[in-house]
Amino acid sequence: MSSKHTQAVRGAAARRPRSQTGPEYRAILEAAVDAIIVVDHQGTIEDFSPRAQQLFGYTAEEVIGRNVSMLMPEPHQSAHDGYMRRYMETGEKRVIGKGREVWARRKDGSLFPCDLSIGEVSGAQPPRFVGFLHDITARKESEEQLRRSEAELRLAQELANLGNYVIHAERGEHDYYSPQLHRILGVDPGDPSIIREEYLERWVHATDRKRVAEAFVRMDSGKAPLDIEYQVVLRDGSVRHLHHLAQAVLDDDGGVVKYIGTIHDITDRRRAEDDARVLQERLTHFSRLSTMGEMAAGLAHEINQPLSAIATYARACQRLMVQPESDPGDVLAALEQINAQALRAGEVIRRLRNFVKNREVRREPVDCARLLEDLSTLAETDARLHNIRLRLDCEEPLPTVYADPIQLQQVVLNLVRNAIDAMSEAPEDRREVVLSTRMDADGEVEVTVADRGTGLAPEATDHLFNPFFTTKASGTGLGLAISRSIVRAHGGRLWHTPNDDCGVRFHFTLPVSPAVTTGE
Amino acid sequence: MIKEQKPTVFVVDDDAAVRDSLRLLLKSVGLPVEVFESGQDFLDADRDDRPGCLVLDIRMPGMSGLELQVKLNERHSILPIIFITGHGDVPMAVEAMQAGAVDFIQKPFRDQDLLDRINQALDKDAGSRRMLAERNMIRKRLESLTPREREVLDLVVAGKANKVIAGDLNLSQRTVEIHRARVMEKMEAHSLAHLVRMVLEVERPEA
Repeated sequence: MSSKHTQAVRGAAARRPRSQTGPEYRAILEAAVDAIIVVDHQGTIEDFSPRAQQLFGYTAEEVIGRNVSMLMPEPHQSAHDGYMRRYMETGEKRVIGKGREVWARRKDGSLFPCDLSIGEVSGAQPPRFVGFLHDITARKESEEQLRRSEAELRLAQELANLGNYVIHAERGEHDYYSPQLHRILGVDPGDPSIIREEYLERWVHATDRKRVAEAFVRMDSGKAPLDIEYQVVLRDGSVRHLHHLAQAVLDDDGGVVKYIGTIHDITDRRRAEDDARVLQERLTHFSRLSTMGEMAAGLAHEINQPLSAIATYARACQRLMVQPESDPGDVLAALEQINAQALRAGEVIRRLRNFVKNREVRREPVDCARLLEDLSTLAETDARLHNIRLRLDCEEPLPTVYADPIQLQQVVLNLVRNAIDAMSEAPEDRREVVLSTRMDADGEVEVTVADRGTGLAPEATDHLFNPFFTTKASGTGLGLAISRSIVRAHGGRLWHTPNDDCGVRFHFTLPVSPAVTTGE
Repeated sequence: MIKEQKPTVFVVDDDAAVRDSLRLLLKSVGLPVEVFESGQDFLDADRDDRPGCLVLDIRMPGMSGLELQVKLNERHSILPIIFITGHGDVPMAVEAMQAGAVDFIQKPFRDQDLLDRINQALDKDAGSRRMLAERNMIRKRLESLTPREREVLDLVVAGKANKVIAGDLNLSQRTVEIHRARVMEKMEAHSLAHLVRMVLEVERPEA
């Protein structure tokens, strides 16, 4: 402490009764961590501790002899004399003997929060009072920060529709559910904690219950955190999609102490995804239907072929059978063929129905070579219609890809039909579409459809994959756009390159099935 | 001299079942038949100057039926063609008919309809070949005439009387009569009308 301060205190002490200027008193005054201010019954400052001087920025000399209200902001500043008068008259204690949080005013006019406690000097006549002030700025700030971060967290949880919790394994400990979690699960903050069995039984959707229960058990082992999406049914009957992340905190013996988790309500996202998926599937299906519509003439031809053969074989048989000298082997062979051709017609219809059926998208291991072979039945109808040969060139054996076979056929058929269209004007020796599969350098299966047609106009290449872009008189312009989105959904790429001498090659890749099976 | 051959039905269809069923049907009615998988195979087999007819699928991968027809026309083949068409192939069928096809039939067809068309086509082919043979024969007879006889023939066909011809050629009427008798004999004409018809037959532009 500087000598200037000491002198100031001494100066003030000179006007005080002797009993309060003893060495103990001075020691307390100077050493106290709290600011100490002594006032008389009118509120006039009699003593002002070094800590008070530090806190308020006044020297003792500047305040001693002045009314203590100078250290207060309005409205207390004006009202303070009244407070003191009331106490003198009524003896009713408002602050005295209790603590209170108040704002104080520094010399520079700035305010700071402090805890104030006031004691009355016993036996003093007229009464005198000692005030202790403890600066709580730092505490207030951290409280405010905490309050703000809680509010922000709450807002963030509200915005994200995400709630968090801490649940103790030992019942009765303080479990925590964030307000948003209450809202997500449709419970009141006052409701008791939800125990696991109850949660599984009353919230989790029946179809997900087994899966969720198993995931909970896995989490209990502490090896893997919980990360699962499932549906819940709320008390009002509404169904929500939740993404639940949680971890068990274990003690040294591997027993669960508590669970810390978040629950994210992803219903809106899931619904948007579902809507988009449904729309995409409908579009894909529509495109298949319209492809088949465009191919109707070719398909009629494809079914007419076996039907013609059957009719002709049957009539030939009738004629042969009434001729005594005819060869029974001819009749037998013809009957055999009638059977085979009936099956052939059925097969065309079956493939056609499979292709246009509105069905769930279902992925399975697919052998691309087989798929291309299957597809060529449908594709050949179109090829024949345009007097074009279809050639398969499959590298075998190839690993299977994990894909929806019908959607893949759709992609290939689109590409083949484009190739056929590109060659309708080509000379005879060039009219061939080559379908090939191979394993590319990255270990993915690559399917290529190559034509030797007119090639792509430079202005067309920019818009090729745009929906509704078409160079054909009767095309939806959806084929390539849908093909690309199908390939992308399968984790592959679709692109094109110029063919060696003329025409275009369209390529797409597909990642091989995760579990490669090399035989039964 | 065209060698006398039995007319054959040639079938070109890329579809094995259709091809084979047609082979059997034609066999069942006792018609000689040869089947080919593609237009090129048929061209390579050099059957287009044989008597018979061609049953041809209009749509085939590679060389289409119409393209084969064009190639046969280029080879001056007179083989009548019956096209087998599918639904909605009417514009193509029209094109085929304009290029000289005798008929077309839509798949699937009644066997009798096809057999009728084939028989008509075979009749037409036989007729064409007869006519062709006759023309060749007339040409040969014409070639046997001396230049003087040919001059007399042209004037006879032009409708001139012997006296006028004698004046035109500066011959005696008698000499003209002798030439004329020789022409009738060499041309194997029964009458003046017959002679005129034979000459017009070979001298009018080919249809």
